[in-house]
Amino acid sequence: MLKVKAGDLDRMGMLFERYNRQLYGFLFHMTYQRELSEDMVQQVFYKMLKYRHTFTGTGEYIHWMYSIARNVLKDHWRKNKQQVQHEGVEAAETIAGGLVPDEAFEKKQAKAELHRAMGKLSESQREILALSRFQELKCQEIAQILGMTEGTVKVRIHRAMQELKSIYVKMER
Amino acid sequence: MKCELYEELFTGWINKELSAEEKGVLEQHISGCDHCRTELEALQQLWGHIGQIETPEPSANMSVKFYAMLDTYKESVKEQRSLWADIKYQLSNFWQWQPRWPMAYNLVMIVILVVGGYLLFGKNKSDDQDRQLQALSSQVHELKQTMMLALLENPSASERIRGVSYTSEIKHADKQVIDALLATLNNDPNVNVRLSTLDALTHLAGHPEVREGLIKSIVEQDSPLMQLAIADVMLKLQEKRSVNSFKELLKQKDLDHGVRDKIKQTITQLI
Repeated sequence: MLKVKAGDLDRMGMLFERYNRQLYGFLFHMTYQRELSEDMVQQVFYKMLKYRHTFTGTGEYIHWMYSIARNVLKDHWRKNKQQVQHEGVEAAETIAGGLVPDEAFEKKQAKAELHRAMGKLSESQREILALSRFQELKCQEIAQILGMTEGTVKVRIHRAMQELKSIYVKMER
Repeated sequence: MKCELYEELFTGWINKELSAEEKGVLEQHISGCDHCRTELEALQQLWGHIGQIETPEPSANMSVKFYAMLDTYKESVKEQRSLWADIKYQLSNFWQWQPRWPMAYNLVMIVILVVGGYLLFGKNKSDDQDRQLQALSSQVHELKQTMMLALLENPSASERIRGVSYTSEIKHADKQVIDALLATLNNDPNVNVRLSTLDALTHLAGHPEVREGLIKSIVEQDSPLMQLAIADVMLKLQEKRSVNSFKELLKQKDLDHGVRDKIKQTITQLI
């Protein structure tokens, strides 16, 4: 990224190749919308180009990328406050949709249920779980991205897990 | 230790971030706390389930869009750079313009000096102009006087009358003019010229020499018209010194009767 900052814009392509799936996954788990997530990936990379001078190089590139992605998400939610939850749940259902064999069906349905349950978490809880579980970031890294202590991150993950569990249990009943 | 205090360790347990020491502490706790053990197991299971949730792959479209965006961005940056280069070029040109600045500075200084000079010396200048104007008007005045004097020598009676009439325009008649007028009054062959001269002299009666000249002139006049006119003027000026002159005139035997009566009347009025 420092090379991009210095003016070697072609290096951005390399960064894209390396991180686009990861970033897309994060955005997908936050929005449950494929197209929207793709658009947001585009936005994040555009912002990284445009504001490349703000990258100091003191932190990890990936942390910077996530903080930009979080800002893009915040902008999106601010603009479409009410849509998100509704669409999110619907989208989760469409993932589960389609004809599948019986055995696999139950498993798949359970996964979809769980995914739906995650959609009912608050944005910050979903975010912290997405970062830790899907992105497989260490608590210390998450702490850097979110700007909190490692201990706080651990407690928040635990609370989010408890909340998710109770939502999931309610849904199963 | 309360169960809540193990929350941090729970997270570490399920995402396998615990150190051996921390692991030991938590294991010790859950061996004695059924609630925490079941909770941890449930969370561990849930964590595993979450991990099975598939993350869809982005479409190929995304990467196409990205590279298109990157290309456009590179283009725009190039344009910006060329714009910057343009500005730099203009600036360097501007330096070459520098010699023109002193010229502009000179112009500004000239304007300032002219305005300042006008403000400072404008008054003196107008004084100068006044003086010049006065000199000019006095020159015109002199010229008129000379012309008048020349006209009095003119053989044509009407020209001489015109010359006499100029005296009304002369504000400050000097001795030369008065002498010329008195000479005309006494010696001009034409009675009309003499009458108008008398009229002109009446206007200059403020000068004592004019008065004396008029008194002396009484005996010099032989025309009844002039004698009557001069008697009127004396009466108007209330000149008592003229009585003697009139008495002299009365001694003239060939004096007109009308004139004689008029003069007698004038004498009685003056006395």
